[in-house]
Amino acid sequence: MSAPARSSATLLAWAAGAAALVAIAFMVDGYTADLYRKLLLITSLALAFNFLFGVAGQVAFSQVAFYGVGAYSITILWAVYHWPFPLALIATVVVCTLVALAVAIPTNRLEGFYLALATLAFAQFFVVLLLQGGSFTGGPDGLSGFKSPEIFGLKLAGRNYIFVLIALFLATLAVLRNLDNSYFGRACRAIRDNPEAAAAMGVNVARTRIIVFTLTSTLSALAGVCYAFADNYVNPNVFNLNDMFILFFMVIIGGSGRHAGAIIGATVLFLLPEVLGDVIGRRHLLIYGLFVVLAILFWPQGLVGVFDAMRARLLPRRAGG
Amino acid sequence: MTDALLSVRGLTKRFGGLVAVDGLDFDLFPGEILGVIGPNGAGKTTTFNVIAGRIEATAGAISLAGEAILGLPPHAIAARGLMRTFQHNMPFAGMSVLDNVLVGAHTRMQAPLWQLIGAVAGARAEERKARAEAERMLDFVGLAGLAATAVTSLSFGQGRLLEIARALAGQPRVILFDEPAAGLTPVEMGRLAEIIRGISGRGISVLLIEHDMKFLLPLAERVVVLNFGRKIADGVPGAITRDPAVIEAYLGEAGGAVPKGARC
Repeated sequence: MSAPARSSATLLAWAAGAAALVAIAFMVDGYTADLYRKLLLITSLALAFNFLFGVAGQVAFSQVAFYGVGAYSITILWAVYHWPFPLALIATVVVCTLVALAVAIPTNRLEGFYLALATLAFAQFFVVLLLQGGSFTGGPDGLSGFKSPEIFGLKLAGRNYIFVLIALFLATLAVLRNLDNSYFGRACRAIRDNPEAAAAMGVNVARTRIIVFTLTSTLSALAGVCYAFADNYVNPNVFNLNDMFILFFMVIIGGSGRHAGAIIGATVLFLLPEVLGDVIGRRHLLIYGLFVVLAILFWPQGLVGVFDAMRARLLPRRAGG
Repeated sequence: MTDALLSVRGLTKRFGGLVAVDGLDFDLFPGEILGVIGPNGAGKTTTFNVIAGRIEATAGAISLAGEAILGLPPHAIAARGLMRTFQHNMPFAGMSVLDNVLVGAHTRMQAPLWQLIGAVAGARAEERKARAEAERMLDFVGLAGLAATAVTSLSFGQGRLLEIARALAGQPRVILFDEPAAGLTPVEMGRLAEIIRGISGRGISVLLIEHDMKFLLPLAERVVVLNFGRKIADGVPGAITRDPAVIEAYLGEAGGAVPKGARC
């Protein structure tokens, strides 16, 4: 396929995807609308985490904490201090970037287990900070009852808010896909596979690690900003390590290192307790654990790898493909 | 004589009490194939690792095209036009053959991060150009048609060729080959020698560590011989094999030339 033909096909695929997501927004209501909002949020978060863990190979436990940094920053600046919304949003992005840099710079030489420990410590520290924050963070009760922002007199709530979340999801996907298809994405994968060879090929390993950690953490924080106005309620329980493990499960089961894998993994694991709720009650974590073991044993490329294999078997080989 | 492209002066590396490299001097000239030989433990690999910035030197100076590079990190040395292959293949195992080669072109990519995020036309054009060049490099080393293959499905010999294509993708001024013939079949060795001559023919200087004399002597234009971290000879291959110091280092005593094809 020639380059212009490919780019118009890509554009068409994006338009079709966006149209489908918007169509779903008109089909959901009440509880299902709430589910859809949360699904868009968790999928955006899974995409960002997949880039950090699956593409760049950083075993970091801080992603959900950054989701919380974003949610709490915007809530405190907008709802408690009543800053104008655009200013509060910019300040939130700046704060999240600075916090991410403050974690990334001292930990950039750590790999595997040691990076996991350092980011785990940060995540736990963040939750303790929320619990002990007094009236600033609302302590264990969190902050609630604040109003949603408006743009051009349009209240960002209800169905309107679903459109915001669709935009968040598509923007996250576009940013990460573009990066992945560039020399930056290749440098990240090269560092994941062999940092020493990457350095010998001219990749600045420390700089690349810091950039990818900061960027994906800030993307998570942006998802967190959107989370704050999904329920107009933030509390420490949402940002604890439980959800961080689920995020790991989503990426591993879906197919680590691939955007489609993150989307499939997040969707399947998020909707599974809803579908199986009557059968397994709230014991879905048990099923997740089983899935992870199965994935590691039988589907090292995750569900997306299983789909690839099925497609290769069912569809006749394309000519010249 | 033209100025040296890579110049090593008084290079010394100590590991605790062990002197691995001891006051080493040598020059590499533009487009030249220079072999570095020596018995096991002579300091060849240590010298390579110091030049490439992988380990720090104890003393000495190294310059590349007149610029001091000793003490720079490996990625900065690569960016100045010095690329390398590894003795044990070091591919990026989760990537395709073409993507492996493209990592070699990393330092030549200019588009800033925001252009990548926005996938603007300039960044896409740069990417297309790099892909076309990477395909040509695969062609040059004889891996054409394998671009989309997973790197894990290559044979050992193909993996070695991939290392070369990857290093070439950076359009280096100097390539360091760390025992490129190790583990190859005689046919693959013949092909490798052709490729290395082709690289030198493009004006790229080649610095070659090699154990296999049968491979190295017909290929190298000049040979530096190390023993216990010191240079004991420096000259054309024909003169080196008759040098009494070299013969003593290899055979333990004077008398008799290095047998043709001896593995040292």
